[in-house]
Amino acid sequence: MHPPQNAAPPPAGNRLPDRLLILSVFIVASCGLAYELIAGALSSYLLGDSVLQFSSIIGCYLFAMGVGSHLSKYVDDRDVLARFIDIELLVGLIGGVSATLLFLLFAWMAAPFRTTLYALVFILGVLVGMEIPLVMRVLHSRQASFSELVSRVLTFDYLGALAVSLLFPLVLAPKLGLSRTGFLFGMANVAVALWTLWYYRHEIPRLRSRLTRGALVMAFLAGGLVVSEKLTHWAERGLFGDEVIFATTTPYQRIAVTRWKDDTRLHINGNLQFSSRDEHRYHEALVHPALQTLPWARSVLVLGGGDGLAVREVLRHAQVERVTLVDLDPAMTDLFTRNEYLSGLNGQALSNLRVTVINADAGQWLETHSEVFDLIIADFPDPSSFGLGKLYSVPMYRLMGKHLSARGVLVVQSTSPWFAPRSFWCIDATLREAGFHTHPYHAHVPSFGEWGFNLATRQPGYTPPTAYSVPTRYLDAETTRLMFQFPPDMQRLPVDPNHLNDQRLVHYFQQDWSNVVR
Amino acid sequence: MERRGFLRASGAAGLGLALPACRPLQGLGIPVRVHQPGLVEGHRLRDGTPLPTPTRELRTGVAILGSGVAGLTAAWRLARDGHDDFLLLDGPEPDGNAAGGRFDSPSGPLLHPCGAHYLPLPSMESRGVRALLFELGVIKAEPFSEHPRFSETALVHAPDERLFFDGAWHEGLLPTEQVNAEEAGQHRRFLAEMADLTRRRGRDGLRLFCVPKALSSVDAEWRQLDALPFRDWLVARGYSAPSLHTWLDYVCRDEYGAGPEHVSAWAGLHYFAGRGGHAANAADGTVLTWPEGLAFLTRGLRARVPTARQQAGHALQVDETREGVRILCQDAAGAFLVHARRAICAMPLHVAARVVPHLRDYGFDPARHLPAQAPWLVANFLLDGFPAEPPDAPLAWDNVIHGSPGLGWVVSTHQWLRAAKPAHTVFTAYRALAGQAPAEARRQLLTLTGDELLELAAVDLKQAYGAFELWRRTRAVHITVRGHGMAIPGCGSLTNPGLTALQAADGRLLFAHADLSGYSVFEEASWWGERAARLAANS
Ligand SMILES: Cc1cc2nc3c(=O)[nH]c(=O)nc-3n(C[C@H](O)[C@H](O)[C@H](O)COP(=O)(O)OP(=O)(O)OC[C@H]3O[C@@H](n4cnc5c(N)ncnc54)[C@H](O)[C@@H]3O)c2cc1C
Repeated sequence: MHPPQNAAPPPAGNRLPDRLLILSVFIVASCGLAYELIAGALSSYLLGDSVLQFSSIIGCYLFAMGVGSHLSKYVDDRDVLARFIDIELLVGLIGGVSATLLFLLFAWMAAPFRTTLYALVFILGVLVGMEIPLVMRVLHSRQASFSELVSRVLTFDYLGALAVSLLFPLVLAPKLGLSRTGFLFGMANVAVALWTLWYYRHEIPRLRSRLTRGALVMAFLAGGLVVSEKLTHWAERGLFGDEVIFATTTPYQRIAVTRWKDDTRLHINGNLQFSSRDEHRYHEALVHPALQTLPWARSVLVLGGGDGLAVREVLRHAQVERVTLVDLDPAMTDLFTRNEYLSGLNGQALSNLRVTVINADAGQWLETHSEVFDLIIADFPDPSSFGLGKLYSVPMYRLMGKHLSARGVLVVQSTSPWFAPRSFWCIDATLREAGFHTHPYHAHVPSFGEWGFNLATRQPGYTPPTAYSVPTRYLDAETTRLMFQFPPDMQRLPVDPNHLNDQRLVHYFQQDWSNVVR
Repeated sequence: MERRGFLRASGAAGLGLALPACRPLQGLGIPVRVHQPGLVEGHRLRDGTPLPTPTRELRTGVAILGSGVAGLTAAWRLARDGHDDFLLLDGPEPDGNAAGGRFDSPSGPLLHPCGAHYLPLPSMESRGVRALLFELGVIKAEPFSEHPRFSETALVHAPDERLFFDGAWHEGLLPTEQVNAEEAGQHRRFLAEMADLTRRRGRDGLRLFCVPKALSSVDAEWRQLDALPFRDWLVARGYSAPSLHTWLDYVCRDEYGAGPEHVSAWAGLHYFAGRGGHAANAADGTVLTWPEGLAFLTRGLRARVPTARQQAGHALQVDETREGVRILCQDAAGAFLVHARRAICAMPLHVAARVVPHLRDYGFDPARHLPAQAPWLVANFLLDGFPAEPPDAPLAWDNVIHGSPGLGWVVSTHQWLRAAKPAHTVFTAYRALAGQAPAEARRQLLTLTGDELLELAAVDLKQAYGAFELWRRTRAVHITVRGHGMAIPGCGSLTNPGLTALQAADGRLLFAHADLSGYSVFEEASWWGERAARLAANS
């Protein structure tokens, strides 16, 4: 940001009103930082790993700004003012639409996302990098004291940055969202362009065309501001099919809740976890066949299942005095405790006084605690990776066995016996290898298809309930009887148990699902 | 000690590591701690530093000098058989080459190996090792049967190995699927030949190759292979496939600290044919491992030795007297004498050569009989999270880069039973400095800066993840430098008369160390420790 060597001597008496100067610099600086923050926030939101995303975006942006201020010296002295106005319009336009554009891009085309992101950040950085040097040159040619100019410009440059850095996380991002924040700052840039244009209207060539252009960009951004909300929802619908009413990325997973009419769905890492229309089928089947036969059960452990829906079913049984829910992700259990709508789905189960919510890794928790339970419900994600496969292994079931009272029961969600038959029967074989007697069953959950469970006991002899003492929407005597019967096309397959040293289940699961054309 | 502190301190202590400090990584501020167990003590002995005057005396029946696998095994056997008149002298590095370490990561303590990290399924003949595994709960039932049942927490979890070959990761370490039919055919022929050798017995009825080595056949026809370099044997047998040679070069460096051109054919084959252990609940060739590596076993052994029988300090000189053995020792508090009826010399032979002035009387002339010893680096990287991996080739326990001078890395949290990847982990990278003569490599090691050591140790991780990703995630590094890491079983090692003499020694001094076998694995150290305990207890 060095002063032009060949600057014309400032014409005496032509002093720019201070307030306009201050405001312009302040706004230009605010916008510059805002675009940088938007790009950083958006990429960490969409790509995860916020430290990496933020620091690489900031690095790219700062570098581009350096390029910009270098380029600014090639602007001819006579054109400085006009160029400044052009650049403001361009920054306003590109910066304004950046967030929405990236969002739409991410929803529909995953591949060029990073390239576009960094290209956009670079272009914006170059343009923003030219702004302040140009402002200085404009002012320098009109004002006497260079040192006073530099100090004043830089003061407001940094003040603007401070204002945005505080406003952005506290007000703008949470209240307006990234898209609308983008449009808002774009409009501010264009406003600077417009009033500079007006103030120097006698010195600017092709004033009329510039004014028209400015007005058009302003109108476009204002329109964007109005519809951006709709646009981003539309983009997320492209991702999930439905409108996203809540989304967050935690250190463990990406959680998204969508809603379409009266159907609320939870997606974790893009996989459907439940649909509010039929989740009662899944959760009734998961809980009641076991708990109905345990009138003496006092304590229940739920592993996974941070949505609280299984806990809701458990709580229907008055004999249960304590329910312990161990789920990895505090964001998940917080969401289903605090969010009014979602905690409505589980009937505020997670705030129930009988329930203790523990955010811990199930494996670690079981290893380091010694409590014993009358019923353990393992409601883990499907064994799609070696990491998740460990949760369905012989040692894991042995470990669970140590936490089970003498007549206690273990229920395991066991993926689909229809789509993934080898996986389902492998879980059954694994439980038997771990010393349990198994009682496999299945239920039809329309949004999932045919789904399977394994009920495991230490002693042989389990008889499915013929009546339920709690209100059920899906289960009755006849449904329950059929659940425990496997028709000829879903018979037990001869498969190996899931030992940790070979993790057969993970191979079965990957093969099973790759055979399913969906 | 943080890296800068280390460099200052090492300079001050004259450890030899050059001072001109850390260039490339200083800016990243990664704390690097370099540990050179036994270096100061060993070099003082070598340099003939005047011996101190003892101020205390201890008396015991059996003095065990050194607490590596051999010394610990001897102590465990004595304690188990009801003896309590013995003393285990730790030496400069308790647990020796099977020591472990730990990081206190933000998410809790993380254990890691500082040396040995896995144990193959033990052979039928490794009865002592089986008994130990049974006592530690690693073998669940029938420890001496053909197919014992092993604890699943110790059997390495899938995916166990992957190889970076031709720009991508593949399952397993031998790239049979990735090479042309001719090379793949050689791979298969080689493995079949090894499987056959595993079953073969010599004219004396003993297995041709056996761990422990002492129980191998002495059939002269096969012992000839001790005179031939392994590489020459391969060539003579028509094994020419470059991919096979690269793999075997890795195997030999990994097992013996030197390549197939330096290792005898007998040793090369012994690696493949010597074990043949089975498990009831795992495939042949599966290994046992723990987050802290074999420190799990040394910890288990040590826990079975009464603390009153354990003594800090190291031996400076061992003399035999009319009553028994007199050992001049030193610990932090000063010099002391230990009087014992007998002593088990469980220190490495290059140290024994200095500490036992009359070693020649036992038939071992250090000048002629000391095996070459390979220098090793073991580098533990404490990481924030896990570097990104391709979705179709997840991180395995052992990760190796085909043709690299490094030996890959193992993942200390691999055996954890967890729902999610832990927030922090430790990658343990291994490297045998096999590119040059061992003594030359050791001399160079002494001149390296901390950064240069780190460069050597990080070669594989940097290739796999890129420097940016690696240093971005690295919170701290512990490097263990083992200048005399292991004896190299070169040609003539099997018939080395000095080693044969020490193996048979049954005087006031007994010897127990992996060095006696001419190559270094847990089972060999354990074998000699057990033998020495048996003889010592009989007297
Ligand atoms: C990097 C590396 C990786 C390895 N990986 C494996 C593996 O995965 N699996 C496997 O089976 N084997 C492995 N090995 C080999 C295995 O670690 C060794 O065979 C085994 O630990 C040797 O035990 P030891 O008791 O014979 O000797 P050492 O471990 O050398 O122990 C010697 C002991 O002597 C003590 N001592 C030294 N000087 C004195 C003195 N002056 N007075 C008294 N005591 C003294 C030391 O403190 C030490 O306690 C590895 C070795 C290395 C170096």
